[in-house]
Amino acid sequence: MENKEFIFKMNGLSMAYGDRTILSNINLVVRPGEFWFLLGPNGVGKTTLLKALLGMHQPQQGHLQLHPKFAQGNFVGFVPQRCDLNPTLPTTVKEFVLLGLAGIRTSKGAELERLRWALEKMKLEEMIDKNYWSLSGGQRQRALVARALIRRPKLLIVDEPTKDLDLTAANALMESLTDLNRKENLTILFVTHDLTLAAHYATHIALFLDGHVEAGLCHTILNQENLERAYGVPVSIWQEPSGALNVRINGTGGLR
Amino acid sequence: MIQNFLSSWGLFYQTYLAGWLIILLLSLIGVLVVGRDQIFIGAAISQASTLGVALAMGATALFPEDQFPWIHSTIFLSAMAVIFSVIAASITGQGGASGKESHEAITGWVFLISASLSILIVSHSPHGLEEIHRLLSSSIIGATAVDVWVFGILTIFTALLLTIFYRKILLFSLDTSMAVAIGMRIKIWNVITSAWLGLAVGLSIRASGMLYTFGCLVLPALVAKNLCREVRHMFLVAPVVGLLVGITGFVLANGYDYPPGQMTVTLFCLLLVLVWIFRRLGYKSGL
Repeated sequence: MENKEFIFKMNGLSMAYGDRTILSNINLVVRPGEFWFLLGPNGVGKTTLLKALLGMHQPQQGHLQLHPKFAQGNFVGFVPQRCDLNPTLPTTVKEFVLLGLAGIRTSKGAELERLRWALEKMKLEEMIDKNYWSLSGGQRQRALVARALIRRPKLLIVDEPTKDLDLTAANALMESLTDLNRKENLTILFVTHDLTLAAHYATHIALFLDGHVEAGLCHTILNQENLERAYGVPVSIWQEPSGALNVRINGTGGLR
Repeated sequence: MIQNFLSSWGLFYQTYLAGWLIILLLSLIGVLVVGRDQIFIGAAISQASTLGVALAMGATALFPEDQFPWIHSTIFLSAMAVIFSVIAASITGQGGASGKESHEAITGWVFLISASLSILIVSHSPHGLEEIHRLLSSSIIGATAVDVWVFGILTIFTALLLTIFYRKILLFSLDTSMAVAIGMRIKIWNVITSAWLGLAVGLSIRASGMLYTFGCLVLPALVAKNLCREVRHMFLVAPVVGLLVGITGFVLANGYDYPPGQMTVTLFCLLLVLVWIFRRLGYKSGL
């Protein structure tokens, strides 16, 4: 495992806004094919870490190293929480997804081939000529992922994509992402508050605790002590007969 | 009527050509303004451009022509119109982020301060007041060969930019979060698009006045928005529809002796209502 090539490394990385340090001494190695979940309460620095990866915010200390092989071209695909597009504007799924190719020069044939691939991966082939605004919430979210995928990234960053989705739509999206991770060996960084999703789908977890990050394999990080420290509430965690982990924040009346 | 129009060609061809080129130019840029749902920005920038002209007119009263001839030149008037358009485009591009004032509030402020100051500045100058009233009421009569060339070049340049950087411009204009995420330098793009919008609006204001400029900026794009299924089609439909309405408007204005700017804008507004009805009926019948 240690010798496996990395996608990116963070060595002693600290992030700050002015004098206010948000994250300090972050050490993280992400390798190809890993499915990382970034967990933690609001305001602990998850978005700040994403900004560092997207080159939108420079570290205060330490450094972020991208593997030269992956740093070339379109290294990162980003799926934002929301889409800024004006909802009165006419656009089809095809046009919306092709917008993801901004800044990439390819032939018309290669463009269409990428489009078909991205739509197929997100199970939206049938929707290609539909109005984007006529899609359901879950389909729109998958179109957002397809727009990031069309760039053929090595690392896909997904920011709380299941936040406003019902259970069925959220599951469909998670299955598509898991397929991408397993079949295409795509590395995924998934930001969420949903501990149950993390327990089911993550191979690795980065848990944000008081400006630090505990990172590693899902089973080692996702334990009662860490989660209670991170969220400040009692947490139950147990293993299903299938071997999958399950998590409950006690006192909330259900799974989160 | 068409015969009448053709016979007026020799006298007014520069006005007609400049008017149609303004429609082509502004309808292309207007797709981005309408796409961002920031239609009122067009009005605010046009009004700010008028303030630039008012300030230039006010300056002529303060600086004698024999000592400062450049202040009395039309180039100075045009430059002030463009400078104030660019400033307004930059200011109205700000805001909207959490903790900041909204786009609408900033745009409203720019519109109101420009509208009131432009009148206050020239209120004691009969010539200046007349010029501002002419700009506000829009008169495209009197365009020169230079105007035709300037708008021709600007239109070709705009069409080229849109063709070459189509996806980047669209992504930056319509989905800034994604544009940031793929590494586009938003600040630079903001400066470029503000300057571009300011230049087009500022020059159009000087040549055709506020009503015509604002109308050509938003109305063809609004018509296209209701006719098209994709944004890329809007870049074709808006100028084509704009040109057809512009030609019809000028012919009718010439035939019935009405001001061409107002006639064209009225036709655009009527067409927009028709398109709205057509779309509504189509929606109800499931088309």
